[in-house]
Parts: sequence; structure tokens; C-alpha cells
Amino acid sequence: MPFDDQSEIPDSALLTLYANGDGTAARTLTARLAPRVLAHAQRLLGNLAEAEEVTQEAMLRLWRIAPDWRSDEATPRTWLYRVTANLCTDRLRRRGRAEPLDAVPEPVDGAAGPADSLQDRTRAEALQAALGQLPERQRQAVVLRHLEELANPEIAEIMGVSVEAVESLVARGKRALAADLSARRNELGYTDDTRT
Amino acid sequence: MTHEHDSPNPLAAHFEALKARAPEPDAALMARIVADADREQAVHVAPPPRPSRSGLLAGLVNALGGWPAMAGLATAAVAGVWIGAAPPDGLTAMAQQMMGGDTATLMIDVDLESAFILAEGAS
Repeated sequence: MPFDDQSEIPDSALLTLYANGDGTAARTLTARLAPRVLAHAQRLLGNLAEAEEVTQEAMLRLWRIAPDWRSDEATPRTWLYRVTANLCTDRLRRRGRAEPLDAVPEPVDGAAGPADSLQDRTRAEALQAALGQLPERQRQAVVLRHLEELANPEIAEIMGVSVEAVESLVARGKRALAADLSARRNELGYTDDTRT
Repeated sequence: MTHEHDSPNPLAAHFEALKARAPEPDAALMARIVADADREQAVHVAPPPRPSRSGLLAGLVNALGGWPAMAGLATAAVAGVWIGAAPPDGLTAMAQQMMGGDTATLMIDVDLESAFILAEGAS
């Protein structure tokens, strides 16, 4: 990462450096955290343009809270996930589900890797569309667990619920996703050749 | 960080496919975020005090309490020089009394009875 020249410094310490006037801390934090925020917002919203707006807004809130940051409360990453989820929830409610997520164009807009294939693209788009049909809390829990790959205790902290509640949300979300994707497989006519 | 995948897990391939297509923030977004950070930092963070360009003199002035204190010191110095060059009437005698001088020496020679009379006002 081109900005990350303070790689050994924890996020909280970087935020304190930023609040004290350090000129490079914000660049390091941006390089570390903005990709995560963008990916999370895109997965919750299913729309890259909106996800970029949410990312900028979430990072702006981080800069504004920096002078009052208390490092014993949460990590900047956890705090950002929480703020990002709240911003996405606001947008989804404004959207009022008048526009279902699977109707949004370009639901999956990430860079295609070398192993990308048409079937992988189809799988990714199908999952993104299915995520859009989940209740918000289930969607958030599933995304944090299986796409952001966070541990349940951190997810619980982000969502403000118990670990048991996270497990329940993830389990229900995955059941709903499996049912939805099974129907989409039949509808779209693709096979999942990695199933065992 | 890894997590357990239930095996068999019909969702695993979908999760892997979507993870591989995570969006990367483009340069324009990163630049906007950093510009926000710089603007907020300028608003909320007080600039560090500028180092004095006058060096030793400014340091001495600051150590003595700044320019107001220096004005008081200058006034006292001028008054001291003035009093030294043209002392007011009686100042010399008063100074001799305070510092101890010929007057004290004369008092030593006074006998005890005279000293008592002087102390009583010798009316």
C-alpha cells in the first residue's frame, strides 16, 4: 500500500497521532481501513457508487472523532464497521425497499482476479442478490462473519449484541441464503461444481 | 483470519467468489478521504507553536515574563540610575541609618542614662 509507511503502529495510536497533528497518520489509516469500509458498504448496499459515498462519510466521522477518541472503548476498525452499518441502514431505509437490491445494476463490481471465471461471477452476483433479500441484521452478521471474516466476539461488539445472538443471526441468514441460492441455481441454470 | 467452513457447505463457493471480487477504492476516493482528513485536522488541531526567530533575546524576554515585565524592569532601572545620580535631600542620611554607619557608631558612645533619656523623647 503506497501510503502505509507506519505499518507497525496500531490503528488507535495512528488516530492519536493524527489528532496531534501528524501529517502522515491519516494516509496510513486511509490505506488500511478504507478498503475494508468500502467492501463492507458495497456488500450491505449492493451498489458501488453509494458504497463510495458511505466510505467517505464514515472516514470523515473518524477524522472528526479523533480528538476525542478513547482507545479503551473500541478499535477504529470496529468503530468504523459500526458506523458503516448504520450509514448503510439509513440509506436502505430511505430507499424503502422500493428498489430491491437484486434489481440494482452492477451488484458485484470488484476487480476480477486471475482465477475469475464466468461461473465465479455468476456465483458472486447470485450471492450479492441473495444478501439483498436478507433482513438487515442477518445480512450484516453474515457479511461480517463470512466475507469480512471477523470473529464472533468482534461482530457482537460491532452489532451491539451477544455472541449467541450473532451465532443465531448468522445461522438464520445462511439458511435463508442457501434456500435463495438453490432457487436461483435452478432459475439461472448454472451448477455448483464445487459442492461436495 | 480464517474461519471454519461447514463441510459440505453449499455456500462456500459463493462466499469465496464474492470475496475475490471485493471492490478496491480508486485513487479519486482515496484522495477525497485524505483531503477530508487534512481539512478536519486543520480545523481541530491547533498548530504547533512557531519557533522564535529572535533566538537568545526572545528567549530571555519570555523567561522574564514577556514585554510587559520588560517595561517594568526598564522603568525601575531608569529610576535607579536617576536616584543614584541626583539623590533627593535626606536620602543619604536615611541610607546611613538603615545600613548602619557613623550614626550607629555615635550611639555606642552614649552612656546608659543618656540613652534612656533619648528613648523617652528627652522632652
